[in-house]
Amino acid sequence: MAVQRRFTKILGLAAVGAISISLAACSSGGGESDSGGGSDELTTVGFVAVGPEGAWREANETNVQDTFTEDAGFDLKYAPATNLDQKSQIDAFTSFVDEGVDVILLSATEASGWEDSLKRAQEAEIPVILLDRGIEPDDTSLYVTRIAPDNVEVAKEVGAWAVEQFPDGGNYITLEGPAGVGVVNERNEGWNESVEGSKLVQVAAQTANWSAEEGKSVTETLLKANNNDVQMIFAQNDEMGLGAAQAVEEAGLKPGVDVKIATIDGTKAAMQALADGQLSYVHEYNPLFGETALDVVNKALEGDSVESYIIVPSEAFDSAEAAQAVLADRKY
Amino acid sequence: MSTAARTTWLRELIRKPYFWGVVAILALLLLNVLKDPNYLALTVNPTNGNLVGNVVDILRASAPILMIAVGMSLVIATGGIDLSVGSVMAVSGAVAMVFMKDAGQSGSLGVALGAIGLALLVSAILGVVNGVLVAYVGLQPFISTLIMMLAGRGIAKVITEGQNTSASNESFRWIANGFMFGLPVVFLIAIVIVIIVGLVVRRSALGLMIEAIGINPKASRMAGIKPSGLLMTVYILSAVLAGVAGIMSVGTVMTVDVSRTGYQMELDAILAVVIGGASLAGGKFSIGGAVVGALLIATLDKTIVFLGISSSATPAFKAIVIVVLCLLQSDRVRGWFVQRRRPPIVRPEPLPAEPKKQEVPA
Repeated sequence: MAVQRRFTKILGLAAVGAISISLAACSSGGGESDSGGGSDELTTVGFVAVGPEGAWREANETNVQDTFTEDAGFDLKYAPATNLDQKSQIDAFTSFVDEGVDVILLSATEASGWEDSLKRAQEAEIPVILLDRGIEPDDTSLYVTRIAPDNVEVAKEVGAWAVEQFPDGGNYITLEGPAGVGVVNERNEGWNESVEGSKLVQVAAQTANWSAEEGKSVTETLLKANNNDVQMIFAQNDEMGLGAAQAVEEAGLKPGVDVKIATIDGTKAAMQALADGQLSYVHEYNPLFGETALDVVNKALEGDSVESYIIVPSEAFDSAEAAQAVLADRKY
Repeated sequence: MSTAARTTWLRELIRKPYFWGVVAILALLLLNVLKDPNYLALTVNPTNGNLVGNVVDILRASAPILMIAVGMSLVIATGGIDLSVGSVMAVSGAVAMVFMKDAGQSGSLGVALGAIGLALLVSAILGVVNGVLVAYVGLQPFISTLIMMLAGRGIAKVITEGQNTSASNESFRWIANGFMFGLPVVFLIAIVIVIIVGLVVRRSALGLMIEAIGINPKASRMAGIKPSGLLMTVYILSAVLAGVAGIMSVGTVMTVDVSRTGYQMELDAILAVVIGGASLAGGKFSIGGAVVGALLIATLDKTIVFLGISSSATPAFKAIVIVVLCLLQSDRVRGWFVQRRRPPIVRPEPLPAEPKKQEVPA
């Protein structure tokens, strides 16, 4: 009995500890916004964000935070999801609605299940702007606009480059993200649109879960499975492409000469690899759209109409020189 | 007589818990050979004399799983579980990468050794925390290591400031990618560590004492075994081995990916241990079994890619292989087949195989 009671006590203590830690995290998050003080002049913006996910997300969210500053007349409340959990995002969203912020920015971790929350915001007359990720079903009456680079468009350009590089055809491998994720489907769709009808042959498509380590391990095996008869690799993000480049090298082939690797995202590491000749083509998926978002927020508050989908332009880099030129001031 | 001796020997072998694991590995290799007859072919790279081939890749991929599986098998033998190994891998990798990056990319052997030492030290500290929570505070192992599993990834993110960090150091890279005597260094290191751990726990009373705690902690205490010290040892060992796995894992690409390095590896480790025939209830362990389990998981992962099973079907394929394996291992399921097979045994020889064939599809 005594042991059991002591155990419960300790569990209780642990729970209290956990709660106080999470409370501390909350208050430190809120601290920034409290310093804003007079909400009479400042526009309060609730940012339901994704939180730590990788270099791209970090660049994206820092950019938004750096744009909506107090100097620009905004009080930004940043609410990242805990462990990419949608539930925590919905909670944050609801509390922003209850608080009565002026605008809500939303980067949804999951596409579905947002109707009720968005309807509540609509009833409270709070405009919602989607950043990067869209929602499912895509009911445009529930939000002002979605600002994002277009995955399909970007992948289509990568495909077009590949077709142009290999007019006589060739074998290629696709390294995908986790199965079933919206981004993966969109990037496949765009790629297929361009490659269909060309002489390129897909010999394998496997997931490497966005990771360099798995990208290397998967490529290593796929090269052996095809007796090194692979001329091109389409990696759906930079990390996997960087891993693939190492596997290609270890198989005794030369990246860029024997096997051309194309990736999407455009992080600094990938630009460096492109400059070094490890990668052959990097298509940026531009994360820096804070300015566009600011513009849209101002328009929404004034009641101007905005297009329901704003595509952020992304650049393509297809040579070492092009990468070298932007490498110095690459932000992410 | 000789056939009778052979059947008892065979029966003994089948009863070995990891027998079916070995069968599964062979079956998977066979599956690959059916797809490509040259699957098992080993060639020698003419420039450096290293062996090249799919089997070599499997050995290399199995190294980190071997490490955590051996640690996990000892923890499970005490009746506990260590869910934090994947996160400890990420922390260890993060420490090593950040250390080498800050050392200014000098690439010297000293920097690599420093990075490894520091990474293992930090892993050991995390192991101490697990051990203290389990052995002295008396929290359930599931809870304490779950806390460490969640906290560990956070710690890794703090260390790398949330970024995927890469560094370059030839000596460090050699650990994961190099060759010695024609074999991958990483596999040789793993096997040496496994042999050392195996000898220490089986040649001394340590292994028996660990199992005693798992069978009945109270009785073992009355028999004069101090559980707290042993539990500490086991959790620290598990964390250090996870640290080694982390170094191997990040070494392959010289990048630590804080959200992916070691992700869900704790499940692979537990699976390897179970395939090796240990009981999650504790009380017994088999280092050999854990090795078979780890090799099976590596083979399975590589087979999925080699056969080109589509990404969406991968988890299902993995699950089916493992469920079939666990069914084969289960005494009760095997018992059903034995019972139904019994009547024909009385009859003359040619028949026994037939009824079995009828039963299998059912």
